[in-house]
Amino acid sequence: MSEDRPSERALGRGTLLEMGLRANLLQAAWNFERQQGLGWAFALAPALRQLYPSPETRLSRLAEHTAYFNTQPTLASFALGAAARVEEDRARGNGGDAASMARLKSALGSTLAALGDRLFWFSLRPFAAAIGVLVAMVHPRHGFGAWALWLVYALPHLTMRFGGVGWGYAAGPAVLSGAFRERLERAVRVLAFLGCVVLGVALAWALAPGGEPRPIAVQCALAVGLGAGLLTAQRARPSPTRWALAFGALGLILAWRFHG
Amino acid sequence: MKEGAWVGTLAVGGLAALDGTPVAQTLASQPLVTATILGALWGDWSTALGVGVVLQILAASTLPIGARTPEDYSVGGVVGAGVALTIAAGAPFEHVRQAASLAGVLAGMIAASLGVPLLRWQRRWNEGLARWCERELRSGHERALAESQGAALVLAFAIGLAATAFWMALARWGAVRVEQESLRLAGAWHLLQPLWLGFGFAQLLHAFVQRRLERAGVFAAALVGAWLVIVAGAP
Repeated sequence: MSEDRPSERALGRGTLLEMGLRANLLQAAWNFERQQGLGWAFALAPALRQLYPSPETRLSRLAEHTAYFNTQPTLASFALGAAARVEEDRARGNGGDAASMARLKSALGSTLAALGDRLFWFSLRPFAAAIGVLVAMVHPRHGFGAWALWLVYALPHLTMRFGGVGWGYAAGPAVLSGAFRERLERAVRVLAFLGCVVLGVALAWALAPGGEPRPIAVQCALAVGLGAGLLTAQRARPSPTRWALAFGALGLILAWRFHG
Repeated sequence: MKEGAWVGTLAVGGLAALDGTPVAQTLASQPLVTATILGALWGDWSTALGVGVVLQILAASTLPIGARTPEDYSVGGVVGAGVALTIAAGAPFEHVRQAASLAGVLAGMIAASLGVPLLRWQRRWNEGLARWCERELRSGHERALAESQGAALVLAFAIGLAATAFWMALARWGAVRVEQESLRLAGAWHLLQPLWLGFGFAQLLHAFVQRRLERAGVFAAALVGAWLVIVAGAP
């Protein structure tokens, strides 16, 4: 009986750090059925190990956590921290049951996905790519562009991933309070404006690299590509890659026709 | 040196497949980053970055939202730069390197597209792994969680490595043909490279502007201002 009693102290910094490290493998076994479920259980395991000394209870909780879970992978750390806090209460006998944990995971997962997709996938990732491409075009014989792309994305991504567990643990289920959401929304708006500026500069450089305007045929091809891109972006399908492949096929046909 | 670069390229293919989804997702697997690594490995920055920039701008418009399986630009980026570098290796003429760049970008895009069914297969295989893991946990096997994660990682690495090896072998086989047709292909590259860049810029612009007039204005002002500074500041 005493073996089932959870540890009295809160989860330590080491445990939270281990969870942050394991969050890097959240999508290791991503699948259509449970999506991030397995990775979620793997990341939460250090907390459960500390909270449930009895192997039977711990394994039962771990198996529970392999169920369906999905969210934006960077912000998943916040949900992990909040879930660890709820597990702590549950282990002390103050929390809910498995169904309430599933509801919490579902609520946090969908809200964090809505915020995280906009911030990381729709804003930071394209912004990092635009910065990287601009730097690579300006310095075509160095690796600065790759560094710029990687640092612009990875620094906030890793900060949120490691810090998010602690913040989520401290705040518990209230982690998505108004202030946090507002900050993320503001970041999305700022990135969109900065992205427009970076793209403007990149296009100007592509037209006249180093101040030397490129031949008119090249400028026309850029303009045609830009127009085609703006038109095709109105619809999700066919994907940009399929359009780009179609342009490639057309370019090859023209080259064979006129260089023959 | 060439054998070392080959082995290095295969390893980068496997590692990129890991960073793409299963591990960390730091964007180290993005085409510009992997092309830079391969450029350093093969000692040809110009060809590698030429391919990397075009594939990067296309990859940035490809998003892994929800359960959608997007084109696999992690492996596609390595394949693109790897194919171009294999064909361009030792080529004395600029037009052969340009033809190699075109072949690399096309190979990268095709590899990224063909990666979709491979990723789907991998994800279905992971379903079985997850069910096995839950069963094992319930029967008292605590290590099952770490073992399933490990198995999934090994599979992802192996798929990235195998796909890269296939395309690199194809590039070695097709290099002579690309060299023979290098004048035509270089001509196509002159047309397609700016067209693809413009196309990719537009996709990103659409993502940022989101039909807001003030953002479109910021883009236009940045374009005109930067053009004036670049052209006026040129020697």
